[in-house]
Amino acid sequence: MSRPGERSPSLVADDLFRREGARLVASLAAHLGTHRLQLAEDVVQEALVRALQTWPYRGIPENPAAWLTQAAKNLALDSLRREQTWQRKEAQITAEQERWLTRDEERAHEHELSDDTLRMLFVCFHPQLSVEAQLALALRTVCGLSPAEIGAAFLVSEAAIAKRLVRTRQLIRDLRLPFAVPPDGELPQRLDGVLGALYLLFNEGYKASSGDRLVREELCREAIRLTRLLSVHPVTSQPATKALLALMCLNAARLRTRVSATGEIVRLQHQDRSQWDAGRIQEGILALGAASTGDVISAYHLEAGIAACHCLAESDATTDWSRILDLYDQLQLLKPTPIVAMNRSVALARVRGPREGLAALESIPNRHSLEAQHLYHAIRASFIAKLGHPAEARAAWQRAAELAQCDAEREFLQGQSRKHDG
Amino acid sequence: MNPNTQQTTGEHLLLIRGTHWNSSLSPAELQRVMTDFYGWVEDLRSKGILRGAQPLMEEGKLVSGPQSLVTDGIFAESKEAIAGYFLLSVASTDEAVKLAQACPILAHGAQVEVRPIADLCRPMADVKAAQS
Repeated sequence: MSRPGERSPSLVADDLFRREGARLVASLAAHLGTHRLQLAEDVVQEALVRALQTWPYRGIPENPAAWLTQAAKNLALDSLRREQTWQRKEAQITAEQERWLTRDEERAHEHELSDDTLRMLFVCFHPQLSVEAQLALALRTVCGLSPAEIGAAFLVSEAAIAKRLVRTRQLIRDLRLPFAVPPDGELPQRLDGVLGALYLLFNEGYKASSGDRLVREELCREAIRLTRLLSVHPVTSQPATKALLALMCLNAARLRTRVSATGEIVRLQHQDRSQWDAGRIQEGILALGAASTGDVISAYHLEAGIAACHCLAESDATTDWSRILDLYDQLQLLKPTPIVAMNRSVALARVRGPREGLAALESIPNRHSLEAQHLYHAIRASFIAKLGHPAEARAAWQRAAELAQCDAEREFLQGQSRKHDG
Repeated sequence: MNPNTQQTTGEHLLLIRGTHWNSSLSPAELQRVMTDFYGWVEDLRSKGILRGAQPLMEEGKLVSGPQSLVTDGIFAESKEAIAGYFLLSVASTDEAVKLAQACPILAHGAQVEVRPIADLCRPMADVKAAQS
């Protein structure tokens, strides 16, 4: 019998439960089938609870991950044996499952993406699932967040997330989504979908407009972690994956400086650059370098290039705006969206003056979608102010403030509006 | 009957009651509870007063009556089921209570029963007192 407290809690990584939990769910779903995803999640949860009920008395086991794996497998085996149809109808399959469930397993390295987790990602981000379903499922199964935490990130109730998860699992079952990495022919397109969803996840965390701040940072961290894992896995380490990793790192480096201690929005030109996360910037620059192979330039490459220009500039004044404009010109060809055109107008104004910026902004095709966003009016206001029309600028700031979604934004914009009073 | 015939041994047993954990806690939250709970145990250990500890299985049998009737008990269903124990070499009940109050799983609905360990069980102590 081991005595309590033989191992100190610091020997166990803070995220052991989450990492191991997610790995185990993927591993169990891989062997039991996606139709048993709920069972996989339930037994893993139960295994974590059992650890909590045992370890404090007995001491933390020599190999905590192996302990959790064994506990979850035993619980799964018990549950499957209770299913009456199990042994009758699916004798062959179940024999294989039973072999696996009763077998000792070799441990994957902690910072490696196991093949099962990779497959799990492809299930979560399957194109037949809605974006909301994809994100909720990935956060639950691959990132180990609770429905309450996911709800806090998206400003949705815990019950609504729980319901969404149930429906998603049901859909996976009904559609019989395979627990597999897509075949070579489908892989590029499917990987695009996974990267797109991860970028969306990152942006959910990155945008300052909604949700709980700590949870949002968690979303950014998880998006980066998963992209990083994909960027080193042989099947998914494509240039676009590395470019996306670069883009996320370079944006996340500036995450903390975008909001002041008092909760106000700080624009890029006023941020304290010494507070930017140098480690993240370095990882981003290295990833961007590693992404520069092959003959395909993705939008992630260009956006990461733009972010790199900002991160590497010592000040707003020394920022290489012509390079940024050049990158936006290329990006506009790949992604001809109103948002890209709007951001390009800012770079254009820095290179060729506010008059050209304003002209470009006001001639964006299909800009009615932009006109509903505060950012469009804020950018327009800043151009007009620079052109020396305070009254018109004030009206635009006011419009922007009306459209702002969070208090910090609104206060910032109202402050801008007041600056141009009188 | 003389109530003073039972002596304490200078030890206390902390019985942890409550085996039901909120199943909607996320892995990160469960780990936080674990870290806190484990930290509490570490503290007992570093003070040199932890004599032993064991968790109990939720399943068990209840044997009762002159017929030695065996039932399954209601351990798993009961909110007050004993989840495990910690044996502490602490003489003062006040001190043991203080330690129990610091147990972080109280926040999650668990209860801690604090019982001094006796040198003899009550009937035996009574017999002994009658003999002397």
